[in-house]
Amino acid sequence: MWRTNLKVLAVALIVIGFYTMVAHVIPQLQSEVPEALALTGDVTPEALAAAGERIYSGAGGCVACHGLGTRAPNLVTDQGGEGTIGARCGSRRPGMDCKSYLYESMTNPGAFVVPGFENIMPDMRRQLADDQIWATIAYLQSLGGEVTVTASDYGTSTEAPTGAAPAAAGPALTATTEPLALLREKGCVGCHAIDGAGPPIGPSFDGMGRRLPADQIRRAILLPNADTAKGYEQFAGTMPQTFGQMLSAAQLEAIVQFLAGRR
Amino acid sequence: MTDVVGLLQAAAQAAADTAGGYGHFPGIGARGAVWIAAEVHLMFAAFVLGVPMFAVICELIGIVGKDEKYDKLSKEFTRLLVFAYSATALWGGLLLFFLTTLYPRFWTHMATIFSRSMWVYAGLFFIESFTLYLYYYGWDRWKVGRAKWGHWGLGLLLNVWGTIVMFIANSWLTYMMSPPSGVTAETLPAEVGLWNAIANATWMPINIHRLIGNAVFGGAICGAYAAFRFLAAKTPEERAHYDWMGYVGNFIAISTFIVLPFAGYWLGREIYEYNQQMGITMMGGFMSWLWIVQAVLIGVLFLAANYYLWTGMGRIPGAERFAPYTKWMLLVLVICWIVWATPHTIIATREELAAMGGSHHPFLNVLGVMSAKNTAVNLMILTTFLSFLIYRRANRRPTVAWARTATIIQTAMFAIAAGVVLFYGVYGYFVEAIVRIGFSVYQVLAVLACIIGVSIIDVFLVRGAESRGEIRWGMMPARSQYALFILAVTFTWLMGLMGFARSGIRQHWHVYEVMRDTSADAATPALGEAANMISLCVLIFLGLVAFIFWLGGLAERAGHKAPVALAVPPQPAAGD
Repeated sequence: MWRTNLKVLAVALIVIGFYTMVAHVIPQLQSEVPEALALTGDVTPEALAAAGERIYSGAGGCVACHGLGTRAPNLVTDQGGEGTIGARCGSRRPGMDCKSYLYESMTNPGAFVVPGFENIMPDMRRQLADDQIWATIAYLQSLGGEVTVTASDYGTSTEAPTGAAPAAAGPALTATTEPLALLREKGCVGCHAIDGAGPPIGPSFDGMGRRLPADQIRRAILLPNADTAKGYEQFAGTMPQTFGQMLSAAQLEAIVQFLAGRR
Repeated sequence: MTDVVGLLQAAAQAAADTAGGYGHFPGIGARGAVWIAAEVHLMFAAFVLGVPMFAVICELIGIVGKDEKYDKLSKEFTRLLVFAYSATALWGGLLLFFLTTLYPRFWTHMATIFSRSMWVYAGLFFIESFTLYLYYYGWDRWKVGRAKWGHWGLGLLLNVWGTIVMFIANSWLTYMMSPPSGVTAETLPAEVGLWNAIANATWMPINIHRLIGNAVFGGAICGAYAAFRFLAAKTPEERAHYDWMGYVGNFIAISTFIVLPFAGYWLGREIYEYNQQMGITMMGGFMSWLWIVQAVLIGVLFLAANYYLWTGMGRIPGAERFAPYTKWMLLVLVICWIVWATPHTIIATREELAAMGGSHHPFLNVLGVMSAKNTAVNLMILTTFLSFLIYRRANRRPTVAWARTATIIQTAMFAIAAGVVLFYGVYGYFVEAIVRIGFSVYQVLAVLACIIGVSIIDVFLVRGAESRGEIRWGMMPARSQYALFILAVTFTWLMGLMGFARSGIRQHWHVYEVMRDTSADAATPALGEAANMISLCVLIFLGLVAFIFWLGGLAERAGHKAPVALAVPPQPAAGD
């Protein structure tokens, strides 16, 4: 009987082990909690947009619908020749500027539904704090437009709270001009291969100096949608258009020269 | 300056909320402790609610058909309940202690709203327990005449109490998922009306889904019990009895399981209607891969159940004539399984996007859509039903004059149902999504119509049929019994997985969009971590169930000295 018991136990363990293994080999996606921003009045538009991008791509859950472009408009790619959301938001509703339109879209989404889509978006005030909503708006504005969100929109002080740690002043730009560190920090290597490693969403950094002169590399960073590299048409519009605001002139130049030197 | 004060006040409030809101549990953390207690409690609860359903049906068949073997089977099912009840209560108590000590702020919120229903719940649990004791211990005392009907009434009451208890508990967890729209983060719990909170959007779909799920689960666990006893049997009579019991358990599990997806569709629809974002998170967001794991599990269920039936045909004289068909049915099941488990609209990493050359796979994209998946699952259901049908018909030779016509009509019904399923599956590729969704209704209706129509014809067709020979109960190879174990383990794991799905779609909310989870464990874990927890819960549950099975055998030996097994049941035909 013990042999039978052991066989039964073995079958149970193999079956349980198999299911556990299947659950481990698929992509591991964790649902994150929206980060508390603790933004202060002197936060820069770039920092605000960067914070908004994390909410948009992460815990805000926006990409579940807006990422595919089938359930809701894709906001980071061109739509009908009107450009990305930052470019088209100001002309969506007559008499309503970009910021007001985006705020209405997030807090009263049923007020205007883009033709061709269903009214499925919830009022984001139930899920996100006010400053998180405004940070997201800043990010969306930065996608092809000008960031006009300021501290007064979410009602914070123009001075940092007494005793607040510097980190609480929001995500700041680093001062480094070391190109490899910048490529990693700005997420460039998430799409462009370097030293033979990395996903080919965008053209490889290896040999880039042989293919493009420095001024075209600079243009590709600042205006990524102006030209699309051959063979990467299906990823057109994927690259953020905010590097002009996210990089200082010295940082941009350091990256351009670094890439131009990779022959 | 006012803003600064406001910020500080907000920070202080957040700190206060978190500080008093959560306890600490060593090793596995507060969430891990509550997860295990809740899941194991739920598994036992599903068992003790599912088994009485078919125990009372078996007893009724025994009374009406004057067939004592059903009565004994029902009693044997019920004996397992007596032990399982204690385990259910123990784990329920543990869960309550964990919630009050580890999540006091959340529990205060729930208790403020649901206190009256909690008192009713506790009272009904008492009544239910005593009804069970009367039902089980009064079995031999009230076994004839009116007293027997009174005893059966106790079984019925047991189901009534159990169902109400489950509905009450479901109202608590569905309130966490889908609180009424008027309840917001600013609403005080005392202001929430009890009935308003109970009758929330997902309450009734969950009630129905769990009611069916419990029957499936109970059948699977009883099937595993029978398999265990079959393998341990010392005499042919004992082996025959537990072979038959295993067959009944499997029949209950699979026949109720076939209707479970329809209740699941309803629940899914209600979730979408309640909150589109929640629905999308569940089906296309971070949980999208969960459905691939679910497809793997359900594929195993279909294969194991069919394998058990096909193996069982070896003990039925006349079943040889159907043997050539099984390999084709296996082929259909495997192909459909592969299609069903094909991923489509999922959150992919950049590397995966690059590898696929876009957001969807160039080839699998075609198979991963709902048109293909719905077609696959409906064909799997039809194939499994066909297995049941040939099993049932295996040793019968119909004697009615219209037998040939009826068989042709039945075959045509299968062909039409499969044709409708395939037609709408292919047509779905050529229409808009909103139209395509509606096609699944036609596919389901075609399959249901086939199942109902063919079954009705079959009942009249085999009435008075000649037997090709007695079923040789007990003449099953030992390997067939392992299929019953695989079914039980898989159903248990599936229950843990779907529990994670239901609970996980709340994400970082205790009560969706009303009460935020501000603990260190607020992020909903990825499937790998969840699978570890599910497997741990399954092992704990199955370990305890094995102990209960052993206790059941011990009690039987102590009580009777002789095996409870029946003589080989006189079975004129399969499928009774």
